[in-house]
Amino acid sequence: MTDTRLIHNVGVGALEWLWAHRDGFELEPDVDPEIGFLERFKPIGELAMICKVLFREGVAGSRQAQLARQLLDHAWRETLDGGRMLVRGQLTEPISPIPFEVYLPFKELGYSQPEVERAAVLNHRIDSWAAFEATPTRRLGLSAFQRRFGLPPRPPESEVRGTTWLARTPEPWTVEGHIAYDVTHNVFHLTDWGERPDGLPPATADYLATWLPVWIDDWLDLERWDLLGELLVVDACLPRPTLDERAWEGFAAAQQPDGAMPALRTMPEGTPDEVFDIVYHPTLVAAYASVLATSRSLSLLAPAS
Amino acid sequence: MEQSGTSSLLQGAVQDLASAVVSALRSGDHTRAAAPERAHAEAEDLALAAVRVLGADALLPSTLLHTPPLPDELAVFRKAVEAYPPGADAAPTVRWSHWAMRNALRRLDPGHADAPHQEPDAAWLESATWQLLTHQLAVLAALALPGEDCAVTRAARQRPVDVARGFVRAVRRRDWRQAAGAGRWLTLLEGVPQTLGLDNGLDFVELMGGQDPLVALHVSAARLTRTGAFV
Repeated sequence: MTDTRLIHNVGVGALEWLWAHRDGFELEPDVDPEIGFLERFKPIGELAMICKVLFREGVAGSRQAQLARQLLDHAWRETLDGGRMLVRGQLTEPISPIPFEVYLPFKELGYSQPEVERAAVLNHRIDSWAAFEATPTRRLGLSAFQRRFGLPPRPPESEVRGTTWLARTPEPWTVEGHIAYDVTHNVFHLTDWGERPDGLPPATADYLATWLPVWIDDWLDLERWDLLGELLVVDACLPRPTLDERAWEGFAAAQQPDGAMPALRTMPEGTPDEVFDIVYHPTLVAAYASVLATSRSLSLLAPAS
Repeated sequence: MEQSGTSSLLQGAVQDLASAVVSALRSGDHTRAAAPERAHAEAEDLALAAVRVLGADALLPSTLLHTPPLPDELAVFRKAVEAYPPGADAAPTVRWSHWAMRNALRRLDPGHADAPHQEPDAAWLESATWQLLTHQLAVLAALALPGEDCAVTRAARQRPVDVARGFVRAVRRRDWRQAAGAGRWLTLLEGVPQTLGLDNGLDFVELMGGQDPLVALHVSAARLTRTGAFV
């Protein structure tokens, strides 16, 4: 099993980088309508989600916890203008689920914007929202978010789950990048981002325990750090995580001295904005994988009596 | 990379021999390619080397289909066994593949007076990662025979999930020879996860890599093992 300190340090570095580059999470209110105002909301939602995991797991050091709190405050107050940008996004694209998805982790952390909530409740009633065509895994995520918001999911998660790739436990040798991302997100939704490992049905957990080591081995050797990071999260969501030493050592070695995690092989070249757009996600994932794996590693050291 | 003349000639000879084994497995006929043209000493050397590379699988049709090998076939095989004994510092796979050839000879040549010989050491497999285990087993796929009981088959039987993982890894990496070799082992093992989808997996390996006779050989052997046609 991997040294807990090595796992923990990946997250420490990642959070430092995210804090130093917090202005990269800016929105583009004057963006070309063809690109869409909501395009740059997703990173903020992911940031909030991962900071929430960090608070929840309670394994961050005081500096890390402080940075996470500052990042959240910055994202809410500055980037989202106290939630008003979410309202504006909802007015721009009334039927889009994105403002709701970005809002939910903030709400769970105590931030509030009543107008977004009104839109969420209304959208929940609108048939078009439930009929919105999405991949089964994305639909599963939307239903999970409705449940967490306090609404009865439409459609119910139990109905959606069986239609996903992972629920059918198909031939593991067919997995490629897109399928692998569907698998990781499926696990995030089923476990509420690692909060409820028992949300994984036993057959799914068994399937992952059997085949995840192969996928981790593969994407480690391909140096696809973004996907590897997500797979390491999935490992930490399993009943018996492997915390694979070779994978964690490779992942940690790929991280830059300033905490940035390249998406693929090495750091990209380009303007600071271009670099941010490519590496913010793997760096967020690194923080996420680190905090969950650290937490599981500590639990394994002190088994429940 | 450019192959050296001898090595590409040998590779060609191995491929030809493997093709002959595949067609014999499919038709139930003998492996004519094992008998070299006596007129050329060089051709004979090449054929012997090819038999040594293919190992016990050179006689696979006789082993799996229970058809006695032709005297010519057997003579060449015996010569290859004698001509290429493993050196003192040979890798375990080399020792085992030679052991497998002697074993085949003992089984298929009633006139051969070789006593049962001691198995090489297989400890290296027990401590191997699943990646290395599968790679080594694929190299030793000639030992993946129904009823075979040696330290290598016992090591494989103890780790069906690891070999299944290795199969997935090999397919993902487009290493069709390794995938076919691992698939051949898996047809013999109990406890292979159902979710592997082995039957479709073997068809997939054949579709993607079956133009290589060494891949086709292992897939054909796996099918015969799977259907129990040899029993």
